[in-house]
Amino acid sequence: MQNENRRLRIALTKGRLENKTVDLLDKIGYDCTAVRDKGRKLILPVGDTIEAVLAKANDVITYVEHGVCDIGVVGKDTIMEMNGKFFELVDLGFGKCRFALAGPKGRDFYSGHNVKTIATKYPNVARSYFEKQGMDVEIVKIEGSVELAPLLDLSDAIVDIVETGTTLKENGLEVYEDIAPISARLIVNTVSMKLRKSEIEELIAQIEKNL
Amino acid sequence: MKKYDLITPEGTRDIILEDCSARRSVEEKLYNIFKSKGYREVVTPGLEFYDVFDLNSIYYPQESMYKLVDGKGRLMVVRPDTTMPIARVVATRLKDQIMPLRLFYSQSVFRMKPAMRGRSDEILQSGIELIGSSSKRADLEVLTTAVEVLSSCDNEKFRLEIGDIGFFKELVSRLGTDDDTVEEIRRLIEVKNYPALNDLLDSIGDNEVTNALKQLPRLFGGEEVFEKASQLISDDKTDEILSSLHWIYKELAKLGHNGKISVDLGIVNKLDYYTGIVMKGYLQGFGDNVLSGGRYDHLIKEFGMDLPATGFAVNVDAVAKVMSAKQEIRLAPSDAVVFGEDGYETEAIKEADKLIAQGMVVENAVFDKLDDVLAYADEKHISKVIVVSDSVKTIEIGGGRNAE
Repeated sequence: MQNENRRLRIALTKGRLENKTVDLLDKIGYDCTAVRDKGRKLILPVGDTIEAVLAKANDVITYVEHGVCDIGVVGKDTIMEMNGKFFELVDLGFGKCRFALAGPKGRDFYSGHNVKTIATKYPNVARSYFEKQGMDVEIVKIEGSVELAPLLDLSDAIVDIVETGTTLKENGLEVYEDIAPISARLIVNTVSMKLRKSEIEELIAQIEKNL
Repeated sequence: MKKYDLITPEGTRDIILEDCSARRSVEEKLYNIFKSKGYREVVTPGLEFYDVFDLNSIYYPQESMYKLVDGKGRLMVVRPDTTMPIARVVATRLKDQIMPLRLFYSQSVFRMKPAMRGRSDEILQSGIELIGSSSKRADLEVLTTAVEVLSSCDNEKFRLEIGDIGFFKELVSRLGTDDDTVEEIRRLIEVKNYPALNDLLDSIGDNEVTNALKQLPRLFGGEEVFEKASQLISDDKTDEILSSLHWIYKELAKLGHNGKISVDLGIVNKLDYYTGIVMKGYLQGFGDNVLSGGRYDHLIKEFGMDLPATGFAVNVDAVAKVMSAKQEIRLAPSDAVVFGEDGYETEAIKEADKLIAQGMVVENAVFDKLDDVLAYADEKHISKVIVVSDSVKTIEIGGGRNAE
């Protein structure tokens, strides 16, 4: 719930984005010892005014959307897949990678008249990408290593996050097209932005200065 | 075997006892405010033809509507919005009324939301529409009513934001870009996505208009916003929009809610029937706005009558949630239960009526034995059992146990 008396609550995507954000907060001058030395705790104080909540990427969006966390740090990939209602204020610049369409090396993805099958962990991203092109595709949701699907002939291509492209290369796949660049974003609940304007704007100004 | 006979569909819920009472008290509070200002109630059907929401110049997202087909194969929707049906009613059945027309409503709207996101598809909305006046006095009336609604819910922690979508519409009209780009700009301003907004506007050009649009999501706060906005862009059109909004802002300040009314020129709602002043209201304890509305001068024209209008809707469910979180609402037990001995059943009901006329809440016992009545009253914390035979006898129950 929004409550002007409690600490500003920031939801961090566990893992790399969490570490990068903590580094950033550290650089600004917040005391981050509790978060660095967290054990199994999920809610931890940062300095005297902030409280960090550690969550999975999708949940960061859910918590911020409902206003139980005021701010969130989450990848653009999750934002594109989940959508939702919040302010997307800052491109933090770290956690960089991209969404790409990839498939078996040397094949022309657009050839032939058959409806293509796309395997992905991000069905909404894949669907909206092909919708924009006015192309009908069949989408199969895969949970683990998406690269397997074209290798096993389940799909013609995949829509996935590509960072260096090593996994693709080692499995005989290549990027056909880039879909969108990805990086970590700072998101803010729409009501918190209004009710705690000065605190949030101050934090954002500090973050932008230290990026 | 039936699978779904014990649960309600995704996005719906039963509202029971205390929750109902919280919701009803919010609804009544709004009802009294609206009625006291001369607003009259309208009820529109739960089912409407799809065409009501599929207008020429206004796009209502079709994927959010529940649709069904009537006996003649025509497409219908479960009411997703009340303002559009009211526009239809005004342009048809109320077209000979003396203007301005003050209408209020309190009914559910149904919007399909993504599943599992913890939001309800059915929302009880109460709201007003002031139709037939384009005067700033009408905007002021609707806004002061919005302030009254919010402050009556939480006088300390409410926030009302006002903006004017005309400012955004005026700016984008000067860009000369296509509708899709305008929609993309609108969306980026709405989510305050500064990086992407800057990139998009840079690709369109570097001039006064693109610079002003880049700053639009930042133009929120107190009175200083007007100064900032006029530094970015200033000509007859934009000055007029800003000065009328400024007038409203200053008038609202006279209500004395210091710091609770603010300006946001970045309010650019998706529902694109709005044409002028727009508003959003917030209460502490709910992560989304609880009130929204604005001026819609071209909507009723879509139904054949050119009438300006303004209004707002309140999310009654959200307000009720905030109110019941603030103070626990407990349903008080009935004041008494009457029991008629055999042969005195109707006398007992008459006795109950007498007590009810005095303002008590009195149940009629449907047990056959007095012992059962006493046990029931004790369990339900009802403090009096009134036994009716040839005389009327009152038994007090329980002593200290009786809550409230």
